[in-house]
Amino acid sequence: MNTALSRANSLFAFSLSVMAALTFGCFITTAFKDRRVSVSIHVSRVMLKNVDDFTGPRERSDLGFINFNLSADILLTSHFSNPIFDWNVKQLFLYLSAEYTTKSNSLNQVVLWDKIVLRGENSNLILKDMKSKYFFFDDGNGLRANKNITLTLSWNVVPNAGILPLVSGNGYISLPFPDTYETTKSY
Amino acid sequence: MFSKFNSIPTHMDYKGQKLAEQIFQGIVLVSAVIGFVYGLVIEQFGWTVYIVLAGFAISCVLTLPPWPMYRRNPLAWQPALPESPAETAQKPETLKKKKHK
Repeated sequence: MNTALSRANSLFAFSLSVMAALTFGCFITTAFKDRRVSVSIHVSRVMLKNVDDFTGPRERSDLGFINFNLSADILLTSHFSNPIFDWNVKQLFLYLSAEYTTKSNSLNQVVLWDKIVLRGENSNLILKDMKSKYFFFDDGNGLRANKNITLTLSWNVVPNAGILPLVSGNGYISLPFPDTYETTKSY
Repeated sequence: MFSKFNSIPTHMDYKGQKLAEQIFQGIVLVSAVIGFVYGLVIEQFGWTVYIVLAGFAISCVLTLPPWPMYRRNPLAWQPALPESPAETAQKPETLKKKKHK
């Protein structure tokens, strides 16, 4: 503390420690928050094709096409009407995934669509007749006549500090897939 | 070039050092509390960081230069004693005695 440099050193170290404590406080104020939101998913069209999967098993595989409506009020949670976006959230990574069971696998999970919602954006999600962003390929023929394919919307909460929570929305839809393949060439 | 910088006096006396430390700790802690509450209310952690940085800058200005308030209690050094010729003459004798033993 006798020279200007040693004072600068101790002042800088002290400020950094205080900043670290504040960051921890920011984490602890939001660590136990419930970020679940009610989600409503509605499927408007389902189509099934049997095409060559050039990336996979070199056989004809099932390819599903789903058009969906999606609405989730992610600005407000369902319980206390607290916004998901608090001071420890930078962005949300939302993704719509399909889960189903086939003979070869007890659990298949395919991500159909995703979206990043940043802070300050209009985060009321109302989507009509969306096409899926990614191909819904099965690794065999497990989609045809599958009676229980469940669509769920989940999201990762990307924080400023602390853990990276993975939240599933309240509300999912289960739908059956058709028994026959679509044979038109346009897709 | 560096000798010019080194010749600038930056020291504080002991009480001044203690005062400087108390001042910057107080400023940084108060700005941290204000920033935390403000950031929590407006839901922006960035503002918390900015307010702490502002406190850091203020305490840099207040405590890094050796302001006169930190130099009010200079150490009372003993006045330099004039060296008497008798003392200088005694010293070699004591050394001689030790050598004889």
